[in-house]
Amino acid sequence: MRLHGARPFFFFPLLLLFLLPSTAWPGTDGYLSELKETAARRRLQDDRYWDILLFYKPAAGGRGSLIDDPKFFLALDGKRDPGAELSATLDAMFDNSLSPPVRCRFPARFEWLTETLPIDPARLPAPECPVLDNTLRAINPKSASLIFASGHMNAPASMFGHTFLRLDSAYESPLLSYAVNYAATINPKDSGISYAFKGIFGFYPGYYSILPYYEKVREYASMEQRDLWEYRTNLTEAEVRRMVLHVLEMQGIHADYYFLDENCSYDLLFLLEAARPSVTLTDRHKGFFVAPIETLRSVLAEGLIDNVVFRPSTARTIRHKAAGARDREVDLAKALASGNAAPSTIVDGTLPAEGQARALDLAADYTQYLYLKREIPKDAYQGRYLGILSVRSKVGGPPPTSRPLPVPAPPESGHLVSRASLAAGARDGRPFLEAAYRPAYHSLEDPAEGFNDGSQIIFSDAAVRWYPRDEKVRLQRWDLIDIVSFAPRDALFHPVSWKVRTGFATRDFPGSVEALVYELNPGGGFSWKVSPLGIAYFLMETDLAVSGRYDRSFAFGMGGSAGIARQVSDRLGVLARARYVHGVLGDREQGRRFTASMMVPLRLSRNRSLVLEGEHVEGPSVHAGTIRFTWNANF
Amino acid sequence: MKKLLVMVAALSLVVAGSAFAAGGNTGCGLGTLIFKDTQNQSTLVQIVAVTTNGTLGNQTFGISSGTSECVQPKTVVRNERLNEFVQANLDELARDISAGKGETLSTVAELLGVPSAQRDAFNRNLQAHFQQIFPAPGVEFAHVVDTIVSVSNQG
Repeated sequence: MRLHGARPFFFFPLLLLFLLPSTAWPGTDGYLSELKETAARRRLQDDRYWDILLFYKPAAGGRGSLIDDPKFFLALDGKRDPGAELSATLDAMFDNSLSPPVRCRFPARFEWLTETLPIDPARLPAPECPVLDNTLRAINPKSASLIFASGHMNAPASMFGHTFLRLDSAYESPLLSYAVNYAATINPKDSGISYAFKGIFGFYPGYYSILPYYEKVREYASMEQRDLWEYRTNLTEAEVRRMVLHVLEMQGIHADYYFLDENCSYDLLFLLEAARPSVTLTDRHKGFFVAPIETLRSVLAEGLIDNVVFRPSTARTIRHKAAGARDREVDLAKALASGNAAPSTIVDGTLPAEGQARALDLAADYTQYLYLKREIPKDAYQGRYLGILSVRSKVGGPPPTSRPLPVPAPPESGHLVSRASLAAGARDGRPFLEAAYRPAYHSLEDPAEGFNDGSQIIFSDAAVRWYPRDEKVRLQRWDLIDIVSFAPRDALFHPVSWKVRTGFATRDFPGSVEALVYELNPGGGFSWKVSPLGIAYFLMETDLAVSGRYDRSFAFGMGGSAGIARQVSDRLGVLARARYVHGVLGDREQGRRFTASMMVPLRLSRNRSLVLEGEHVEGPSVHAGTIRFTWNANF
Repeated sequence: MKKLLVMVAALSLVVAGSAFAAGGNTGCGLGTLIFKDTQNQSTLVQIVAVTTNGTLGNQTFGISSGTSECVQPKTVVRNERLNEFVQANLDELARDISAGKGETLSTVAELLGVPSAQRDAFNRNLQAHFQQIFPAPGVEFAHVVDTIVSVSNQG
């Protein structure tokens, strides 16, 4: 045993107890050493299940646990020494002076060792664990589901999704299930930058939590307007019980949370492996970035899922109800929700009972939505909401039957998120070849199935271009971040559309010089669904370009863009846009630019697509047309 | 021009958070438990939390949320699970009862042990007594539970 000076000794209250003389169960010294011998002979410390329970993964010079909390280990060097940890666990199991006893604190380890060695229960201390028993009784786990929260319509960064587990009980209603969530506990006092830094580099502790499922439904479906996909696993009751025991021993234990890889989704995979160790989940993910959708695909690939249930967000439900109602009913619902009409007026009118019920049901949902968005104060909400419901109860009858809500393509049907591209094209008659790569995630021209319409999030998309005539290879562009969110406005919802793009791009300078500049280009505006054009949008934009070639080294411009994005069929799309930026500060002359472009993406398969693109740029030192034909492969 | 510039810059930064606003409260009536975990958080913090799946609240092992801060139902047989569920889902329950249908309502029926053959009658009965169950905007959950129990015993 090594004692590290760097670690305060009081972190190890359990170990202190080992130093006290003779606390072991009387007369078990011989049996305990016999068990330790058996464990050593069978190399239980190298057993896959021990790795799963202790989060051991190959590390420099052996194996190490991903858990960073010293409270998780019974041996001083348990994080790096699986054998020492196993031996210390056996010691502790026979130590009846521990509080809480191992059986109550680490029930999964306790049960596995007891069954695997096996240990004669009659010769083992059997402490009472009332808290554990009560918790198990309350959860009453029978089966489990993996829940995928899809992206928020107007927050493309949430497009990565989120996963958590649901423990289903004997109750029929899933609202009475409990959700197991793994998340970083962030410090709201941190600024955005330090938040991002801490999140990515593991400065926030990640904890498991258990909460009623209805709270998660409210959080995702009602507050954040994210659809939930409930994947029912085929885990047996015994497997789920093992998993729950493991979750319970993770209570209050933290691991450093890394947004990109050791994140919410990755750590849930350990729980599924604890349930059914024959599946390989955590070892499928060794990349730099573990996207929740990729973990869902692993779980599907291992055959753990039997079926899926779609739970739409509140906004999707409201839109669907509005689409199934007459215009007058929608107008009435809106007037009721905004307090411009009294609910009683609806029954005085000429609407049939069905129409009244439709308008009132829609009004109730929409009122609550507005309250959740804090557009109505609580006092007004309580009265208005109850007024609508009261009239609704008098109209009577169940909600009028309507067309069932169309279920979108499930998230796993979407393309894979890394993309490599090859392109051939010509700029002003000069032919070129181009190669590009981006690690993540989804762009507007990618196959739309399984993703939100009108949302784009690109991380680090770089393209290298080669002009064979002048034998020049150049970095054409490197988009660090390129986010677009077109959220269409309608009668009930009035979201703002926006974009932000930053990175390096090639621009033209006097004397036919092309050079790389750094760009920062945010914008905000509106979009609408316009039949038959698709999504039509208008954005106000600012554009900052930095380069030594500019007068005063920068050009800052303002302007706008407008365009359409339309999915013509499952395979074919059209994106057309025009953009004008007027120089305002810095090099005002060179800051002026007009661009018009059109893209026609053609989906070949889930992960292969072709894009035909034409672009014209007009500026003080450029009048250039580019045509480009691109082949995209996602993997 | 300057004003427009500021506007565009502000707009493009703020839009991301337009769906999230701050403020909040807790309590025992309509519209009270909804904001539990997001109260008093800045828009920016909420955006980053959503983005990286962080949690803001103190989400630990909430097996039992408890209803102790509220007036308790008088119902003789205490059903803690029912009390908790109704308190936490009061708004959704009110909506479902008024429409005579819904997931929250059928969950309550299950917690009360209403056999599936009698669920339609149970729903209609509660719908007919909506006014009694939710008499005023300030209604608290204890009254709702007590009235549901007494109404469904009569019905």
